Amino acid sequence: MDESRPIFLQIAEQIENDIVDGHVAEDAAIPSINELAAFHRINPATALKGVNRLVEQGLVAKRRGVGMFVVPGARERLIERRRAEFAAEYLRPLIVEAAKLGIGVDELAGMVREERILT
Amino acid sequence: MTATASATDSAPARTADASSRLRPNEILRIVRLHTVNPAIFFGVPWMILGGAWAVTMIIALIIQGAAGPLDPTETGFEYSWAVLSPQWYLIVVGVQAVSYTFPFALGFGATRRDYWLGTSAMFVIVSVMYAAAIATLLLVERATSGWGIGAGMFDALWYVGADWGTAFYTTFALQLLVLFIGAGVTTVYMRWRMRGMLTVLFGGVALILAIIAVLTFTETWEALGAWLASIGVVGVFTLVLATAVAWAIAGLLVIRRATPR
Amino acid sequence: MTTTVVRARGLTKRYGSFTAIDGIDLSLDEGRIYGLLGRNGAGKTTVMQLLTGQIFPNGGELEVFGRPPAEHADVLRRMCFIAEAQRYPEDFTPAHVFRSAPWFFEHWDAAFAERLIADFRLPVKRRIKKLSRGQLSAVGVIVGLASRAPMTFFDEPYLGLDAVARHIFYDRLLEDYAAHPRTVVLSTHLIDEVANLLEHVILIDQGRILLDRDADEVRGSATTVAGARAAVEQFVGERPVIGREGLGGLASVTIDGRLDHAERVRAAELGLELAPVSLQQLIVHLTGAELAESNQKEVVA
Repeated sequence: MDESRPIFLQIAEQIENDIVDGHVAEDAAIPSINELAAFHRINPATALKGVNRLVEQGLVAKRRGVGMFVVPGARERLIERRRAEFAAEYLRPLIVEAAKLGIGVDELAGMVREERILT
Repeated sequence: MTATASATDSAPARTADASSRLRPNEILRIVRLHTVNPAIFFGVPWMILGGAWAVTMIIALIIQGAAGPLDPTETGFEYSWAVLSPQWYLIVVGVQAVSYTFPFALGFGATRRDYWLGTSAMFVIVSVMYAAAIATLLLVERATSGWGIGAGMFDALWYVGADWGTAFYTTFALQLLVLFIGAGVTTVYMRWRMRGMLTVLFGGVALILAIIAVLTFTETWEALGAWLASIGVVGVFTLVLATAVAWAIAGLLVIRRATPR
Repeated sequence: MTTTVVRARGLTKRYGSFTAIDGIDLSLDEGRIYGLLGRNGAGKTTVMQLLTGQIFPNGGELEVFGRPPAEHADVLRRMCFIAEAQRYPEDFTPAHVFRSAPWFFEHWDAAFAERLIADFRLPVKRRIKKLSRGQLSAVGVIVGLASRAPMTFFDEPYLGLDAVARHIFYDRLLEDYAAHPRTVVLSTHLIDEVANLLEHVILIDQGRILLDRDADEVRGSATTVAGARAAVEQFVGERPVIGREGLGGLASVTIDGRLDHAERVRAAELGLELAPVSLQQLIVHLTGAELAESNQKEVVA
């Protein structure tokens, strides 16, 4: 848990990551509020806030008496959203740093290709 | 008054019936609190008394050994103050009832009023038990002619010639006063701290000195002595009892605004 | 629907000429875990003592469960106050304490207490006078947890506990709170350790409330901007500053507020580094700043 960012956001992000990575399949259950709170050692109210955020975004839904389940299509929507944010979140900082170090676009492209071969 | 058992677990706690002004449960639990560790009110004082008794016996035996058997019809050997030996400890008990048990009870959610009423009830119970025991031991001592060796521990001071009722009454009054003085002075500290307590102590000493001075200058010592003799032992100890009650009431008024720190 | 269980308005407490609590307003809702934070001597203990009827206020209004707490048995029986320096009757053992607890707390769970005794390895038959500081703290913590009182106050009772025991406490607290929700008020100056447990944060300094906000709101509500002094000052401009540090030509300024994306880009362009601020750092800044201000006032006066 990052000390300086709202915890409920981090909870939401962690579950989003699990969805995108495929650790939690669509229609599968996510951990209960108490389980999340106990695992991360946080206040249950905070865990609830994080999950509610996902509910608001339509990624997760509550089934009365059973728990919280991943909504079908959630993964696609998350991937789409992250693609849109990719440029701002990852590309910009990369380019700024590369510019500082004097790495040109072509060199950068070559480095990216090498990385893909290695991984 | 209804006592509702709580829906939960092991110890069926008694729910407080707050509408009853007397709140017997709240007062009873304070009494129980004082008896949780029986050593304080029942263990140590009796140990001290037992110790004093043992010392009395040993001294009597030594004297017997040196000077021959004691004649109980004469003044006999009287370790006069032995019977009062636990009192110094009981003043401490009174003090600690307020200095330690009061903050503890307050932390557990007791009100000051209930605490004082419960503690007063405990003092009365203890004084009754103690008085009954002393009075009875007095009779036993007389019946055994000084524990078989002429040693007089209980049959001393004002107990000489007293019947069970008088012995009981006088011991009860004294015991109550001792406990309430200790507790009462401590409530003053709890409310007004050092300044208040020093004021009360110095004020008390000053008052006593003033009374002594007045009595001396007006030369009324003899009149006082005569009057006290006229009201007898019971009368004197009724004054003692009245003083104890006065301390008890004063303590209640003082503790209402006392704070644990 | 949340019920307000504590309501204070203009609450004041004075000790002679010293004002310990200076006309504070406070409102606590049912079923939340509150953190009462602040430096030593800030007034945390005094607030708790006022709320639990241990001491009497000199001014203002105070209502707990709808009434002034002092001397009201039906309010007091719903509270459990675990004090930092709790006094126990002479020659008491922890066993005596746990035996008498159910008489005062109607929701007392003896089985839970037993489990906690094992967790903290508390020797229950040893006299309290002979217990170590940590064991003494454990007694208080066990009473506070097992009492299941609707409102429980922990006034830094875990100070004597070692790190392992403290984390046992936090874990048990969270566990039990999840299963049996109640209002909990924790006071501490070990902020980082309890930060994740808290739902709401109240910061007290020198008898006044500096902060009274949702914990998550506070987290990440400040940012530290570091870099070349001139660039930092230019970037910070008129924003509210809560902390300032510098070394030679470098400066590090903590501002109140989150930066949006555009601002972040601008900072990057100015060659500045942005760092997040934890709850503890924020509070250090806020209370440190107050201290600096009051020092200034003294110098002027």
